[in-house]
Amino acid sequence: MAERIWNMKEQINFKNVIQTVFRDYLVLAAIALLVIITSIVEPKFLTTGNMTNIMRQFGPLIMVALGMTFVIIGGFIDLSVSGILSLVAVVTISLIEPLGQVGALIVGICLGTFCGYLNSVLILASGAMKQAEALFITYGMSTVYGALALIYSGGRTKQMSLVKANTSIYKTIGTGTVGILSVSFIMFLVCLLLLYIFQNKTYMGRTIYLTGGNKTAAELAGIHIRRSITLIYTISGLMTALGAIVLFSRVTAASPVIGKGYETNAILAVVVGGTTLIGGNGSVLRTVLGTTLVILLSNCLNLLGVSVYMQYMMKGAILVLAIWLDSRKQL
Amino acid sequence: MKNINIGKKLLNIATKQKAVLAIIVILVIMVFSKTNFYTAYNLFDMIKSVSILMILAFGVTLVLVAGGCDLSIGGIMVVSGIVTIKLMNANIPMWISILAALLVGAIVGAINGYLVVYQGTEPFIITLGMGMMLTGIAQQLTDAHPIPCNNPNFVKLANDKLFNIIPNLVIVMIAVFFIIHYILRYTSFGRNCYAIGGDYEVAKYSGINVLPTKAMTFVICGITAALGGVMLSSMLNSGSSTYGDTTALVVNCGVVVGGTSFAGGIGSAPQSAIGLLVFGVLQNSMNMLGIDAYVQQIIQGIVIVAIICLDCYGRKRKRETV
Repeated sequence: MAERIWNMKEQINFKNVIQTVFRDYLVLAAIALLVIITSIVEPKFLTTGNMTNIMRQFGPLIMVALGMTFVIIGGFIDLSVSGILSLVAVVTISLIEPLGQVGALIVGICLGTFCGYLNSVLILASGAMKQAEALFITYGMSTVYGALALIYSGGRTKQMSLVKANTSIYKTIGTGTVGILSVSFIMFLVCLLLLYIFQNKTYMGRTIYLTGGNKTAAELAGIHIRRSITLIYTISGLMTALGAIVLFSRVTAASPVIGKGYETNAILAVVVGGTTLIGGNGSVLRTVLGTTLVILLSNCLNLLGVSVYMQYMMKGAILVLAIWLDSRKQL
Repeated sequence: MKNINIGKKLLNIATKQKAVLAIIVILVIMVFSKTNFYTAYNLFDMIKSVSILMILAFGVTLVLVAGGCDLSIGGIMVVSGIVTIKLMNANIPMWISILAALLVGAIVGAINGYLVVYQGTEPFIITLGMGMMLTGIAQQLTDAHPIPCNNPNFVKLANDKLFNIIPNLVIVMIAVFFIIHYILRYTSFGRNCYAIGGDYEVAKYSGINVLPTKAMTFVICGITAALGGVMLSSMLNSGSSTYGDTTALVVNCGVVVGGTSFAGGIGSAPQSAIGLLVFGVLQNSMNMLGIDAYVQQIIQGIVIVAIICLDCYGRKRKRETV
């Protein structure tokens, strides 16, 4: 797969151009179509209020999806994000009183990063080199993290309004705006910029692509694939922790099951964006497009009054369809 | 030097017979606990509660042996259970409703098989998406409430006891066990499954019709999952969209615990039964010991991770020694 990336630059033939256009602009076309149809059917869609709403909804999912992008580029998968999300949210909100808001923030981010690191340790120790093996290990860890969150909180939802300490940072993240952009959106832009530079301009970022392309070849070429596997899961944990903080700041409460469904949504966003599940291919920018589509879709369906269950079904259908199209492109 | 050898031997035994070992450990622990674990009532109850998962597991075994994977079984299970009850509530005879539910399972299995085998998609993710879609359909059908069944005969299907001892559910489970065991062991279809899972290319060039064979395993898995769903609805006399949330992963892990490998080509129905029994025994004994539900969840998660890690580790050692 990595060789294919290099080859594409050298010999841009007609078929490749068609493939690239198809892959990159299908999502854009879908987004445009969705916006046009919804704004005709439901004029409320284009109001400033709704746009701000979409921008806020963007926050948690895009953070998780950006982390997931690297895991998928590296040829693995991470189902533990839902557990990490719940655990970090519950722990952070409960530590605001004893540690102060900055202390809680730091502990939360460190906890998420550690959980991600722990995943990579387990995967490396057991020598799981296949996507399927990583899928089951991270699923098991997700159960563990989720249960820890339940035990830690005693199964109760913690409201931010009941915290008897200064919560100004979280209020700013949740509802603050700079100009027309919300603060969480600016956080996302900063993360995107950093991750984009990491992905394209650093040695470690490039090795992730090679690891995903062909692990044996990468190892024989002298690349520390163990280091890049550790890195992708740690980044995923870190980004999930940030996502958790954005999420509970926005909803101003942390329940121990707050992260449920985020793993499939994040995978959906990454795959719909055009990052292939085989690994070695993809970009954080594509994930942004994919997330935009997922968020816009649920916003539009909400405005059109489609039931939540129907939306869940449609997301599953889109996931199946996206993977199907994805694999057809590789034939 | 000697110590290392003994350690290696122990590790070998642990990686090969981990399921039996786990059951023995739990059973020994339960001997010393002062609970009603060793009573006929409890033991039958335990077998009954694990029967549904076992029915699903036998189908999954077939798929895993042929080198695939099916994570949509949870979705198939709830949808087929709900379809049976919905049809019966519309005054359609019980047997026709059940056949319709099995047909739903077969169709979903066929779609899975088509997408995975003929279109070459990654089975793990595509069936995960399929499961998500089916859960959505189940929620839509029931409005996310449990729905009761109007037909009084339906509840007897799973709960009636043969000779007042053995629940029908267990008999169905044993029947499915023998059918799948027979298919895998004594038919050319089953032997071909092992060949395909062992080495796809070799199987292809030895003249095995690989594509239909592999797709067929998904159809059979869909049917067993639907049968499991029908039996579950009958046992509880209701259909709900929430039953199947974790089923797929628990069943797949259970099958792997028994000794079937994700890589394909290894495994059998008896091994899967033992693997699932580990989860049944663990769950039952934790309930008996009165362990907190959340702690149970952690223990189950750790057991899953430990077993999958051991499975991977065994394969890694194999790769390195060859």
